[in-house]
Amino acid sequence: MSTKSKSIQNKSSDERLRKVSKLKVLLNRPELGALGGSILVFIFFGIIAGDTGMFSAYGTINFLEVSANLGIIAVAAALLMIGGEFDLSVGSMIGFAGICIAIPAIYWGWPLWMSILFAFSMAVLVGYANGILVVRTGLPSFIVTLAMLFILRGATLAITRLITGRTQVPGLRVLVEDDPIAWIFSADAFKFVFTWLGSLGLIELRQDGTPLATGIPASVIWWIAMTIFATWLLMKTRYGNWIFASGGDKLGARNVGVPVGRVKISLFIGTAVAATIYACVQVLDAGSADTMRGFLKELEAIVAAVVGGCLLTGGYGSAIGAAFGALIFGTVSMGIYYTDVDTDWFKVFLGVMMLIAVIFNNYIRRRVTENK
Amino acid sequence: MRKIYLTILAFLSWAAMSVASFAIDVIVVSHGQANDPFWSVAKNGVDSACKDMKIKCKYTAPGTFDMVEMAKLIDNAVSQKPKGIVITLPDAAALGKSVKAAIAAGIPVVSMNSGSDDFAKLGISAHVGQTEFEAGVGGGQKMKAAGGKKALCVNHEVGNVALDRRCAGFKKGFGGSVEILGTSNDPTEIQKAVAAKLGGVDTILTLGAGLSGEAALKALKSAGKVGSIKLGTFDMSPDMLKAAAAGEVEFLIDQQQYLQGYLPIAIFAQYMRWGTMPAGVVMTGPGFVTPDNASKVIKWAAQGYR
Amino acid sequence: MSDNLVEFNNISKFFGSVIALKDVTMHIKKGQIMCLLGDNGAGKSTLIKTLSGVHKPDEGEIIVEGKKTVFDSPRDALDMGIATVYQDLALVSLMSVTRNFFMGREPMKGFGPFKTFDVKKANSIASERMGQIGIDVRDPSQAVGTMSGGERQCLAISRAIYFGAKVLILDEPTSALGVHQASVVLKYIVKAASSGLGVILITHNVHHAYPVGNSFTILNRGKSMGTFNKKDLSREKLLGMMAGGEELDKLEVELKEIDRIVKN
Repeated sequence: MSTKSKSIQNKSSDERLRKVSKLKVLLNRPELGALGGSILVFIFFGIIAGDTGMFSAYGTINFLEVSANLGIIAVAAALLMIGGEFDLSVGSMIGFAGICIAIPAIYWGWPLWMSILFAFSMAVLVGYANGILVVRTGLPSFIVTLAMLFILRGATLAITRLITGRTQVPGLRVLVEDDPIAWIFSADAFKFVFTWLGSLGLIELRQDGTPLATGIPASVIWWIAMTIFATWLLMKTRYGNWIFASGGDKLGARNVGVPVGRVKISLFIGTAVAATIYACVQVLDAGSADTMRGFLKELEAIVAAVVGGCLLTGGYGSAIGAAFGALIFGTVSMGIYYTDVDTDWFKVFLGVMMLIAVIFNNYIRRRVTENK
Repeated sequence: MRKIYLTILAFLSWAAMSVASFAIDVIVVSHGQANDPFWSVAKNGVDSACKDMKIKCKYTAPGTFDMVEMAKLIDNAVSQKPKGIVITLPDAAALGKSVKAAIAAGIPVVSMNSGSDDFAKLGISAHVGQTEFEAGVGGGQKMKAAGGKKALCVNHEVGNVALDRRCAGFKKGFGGSVEILGTSNDPTEIQKAVAAKLGGVDTILTLGAGLSGEAALKALKSAGKVGSIKLGTFDMSPDMLKAAAAGEVEFLIDQQQYLQGYLPIAIFAQYMRWGTMPAGVVMTGPGFVTPDNASKVIKWAAQGYR
Repeated sequence: MSDNLVEFNNISKFFGSVIALKDVTMHIKKGQIMCLLGDNGAGKSTLIKTLSGVHKPDEGEIIVEGKKTVFDSPRDALDMGIATVYQDLALVSLMSVTRNFFMGREPMKGFGPFKTFDVKKANSIASERMGQIGIDVRDPSQAVGTMSGGERQCLAISRAIYFGAKVLILDEPTSALGVHQASVVLKYIVKAASSGLGVILITHNVHHAYPVGNSFTILNRGKSMGTFNKKDLSREKLLGMMAGGEELDKLEVELKEIDRIVKN
């Protein structure tokens, strides 16, 4: 059945059609603001801190690690935000997951890989709890996850002090070497590339001839992989369409058969799992867990997602945008230490950047939905 | 929309112009935020020394007591290739990797304030500060001599190894029974926590004057127990100094953090010129401020040097 | 057997002590456009929700193609071919035409866990179906927010038809539209009915209902005032029954009275 009415056959003479260039199409994507912001930030720091070592191999890896850590949770927060909900308990989950890894390994003698798996299973439970509460009670996720923020943080503190008598659990570094899965979260990738560059003298060396920057950290690999996966999920799968639908019109989506409840619950599990990945990376890198880790990180993840083009009201956004949002965040938070500016100004910059990004994203969104 | 772009561009250019930086000689990575009255004195020491030695320094600290962030700052400092790095070492396990990386990159490191037990095994050249345990012992002995039998040691930063050792040393020097009370660093909460424990003690030692010392003194005053319960504290603050001058406080243990900020810079300045470096621990305390010498110290503390 | 697509017989719905609907009967045949008229508060939305499976009737029965049925949820009604297009249309304005069209029923390609949403196929089907209504979707990946109200209404109806609706329930489809757009939508409704669907058109606008309807059911305070064929009913008579003709006459008298007092 391919009969079209006469009006369409005269497509070329429709006076409302104009040649929309490919560039214009690109300009209407939600990631645009964050991409532009990243470029601006790089130019800015390139000018003022270009020769301080910020963009040396070692310095670059330094701020990329901060971006990567934030990017891991920002991607999950973006998916959830597109689905119409917030998770304020991510920061507490990071602390909680860290303790779930450390206490069994140090105090109960579990092998590290078992503790890691234990932490992930706790993440699934917490995410499921968040999700089922939001879906069944109909309460705003803001409130439900805020309550979970307190519950998790308090539990982390109380349980840790009860078992260990203090608020930190050190001693994990030695366990990493022999463990079969810990390396996924802590090893450096592409080591050989850096050693080769070092032998050519292209990057800085230590006194013993090995390069200062040993490789691409695992957190960066995770960040990139998760962003690619999330983008594929959003754009190319049925589930991705359901995420947009659940955030755009929860009731309407349910009426046409989208399993909104299942989608939201799985998204909450996603943020809890992302928090646990963050915790694995951090605990294995620092060699210790601390009850206060991850404090306020959920807000940073939301900022990164919003800067990346996600609407607070849901139904619109991008995982790539959130990745760029995290990149901006990491570059600025580390870059400011290379200048003479007092680091307190970082918070001012953060707020200003967020405002600019949101205004810009709003403008893009209006163009997309109104007068394209 | 174009106007907005231009405005942003103009602002960024202006900002860039005003903050362009020059080569750094010494970077200080400390766990102490400059809004803490204790650390602002140390920072003053750093700033004075930089001026006196005519070298370029930078004082950096993480936003909160976060060892992960602090390790990152040390890595950051290494990438800027300074002539030397000064750090505090509140947690050798968490910071060790970054410190060793700095030394492996050929940048000498001097520690100050905390880490007197751990600095040597990390390869740090020298430590400037007060060894916590011994200072605690001195304080404990003084309190014992004043007739104390049951004491409370208020720790506002559990996990900071140095503070934990202060209480441990105090216990050794005191001899009688000592209860360690862990609190947050919120002054109201500390006051309440101390007030709850006043019934069973005759001696209180706090580990920070401006924060826990003053909170404990307030608790004593509102319970009417000033003088009947003896109060001593580590470090100093203007109000605690006044209290000492008025005889309400037995002593303040002054680790003279101004020197902790000043001396490492001076050490590096000479190292840059002549390659000299002290070995081991350079002791800046314990100095005891008692009702006898308090008034002079008050004057200097108000200026930010004690 | 009757050739009714669906019969709603003696439907009553109570909310506590409030009688929202009492003994309402409606039969829909293939190709028939039944207009459900009534003023605000007459019980139209309660009736729709009962017909579409949101509420379960407290009295009465629903018969679909000769079989007695009970709808446990809107999904049940949908599966039996009774599709409801509500006023908010269940369209997400930020999503593209294609994604909205296939929301919840996306076509897939590939296999196993790597099944992907076949965007290309979906795009071509969506533009084709919209083209059949006479709407040229210039780019099916453009956001629905760029379409006019009438086009959106047609998209929602087209979606329902594509996914196998036998009976269409349309809740105030033209209320928010201008004259031209309303006529586009009404034309589409007529076309849909002529291809064999049954349509229940809910509206309070007689001027839209009268031209396209075959039969008219009028609701007043929860009760049906009867079902009338078009040939038995003139537009004025219909208007009179709906708008509560006596109240309008009383109002006219009162206004004349006030006018007289003011002038003196």
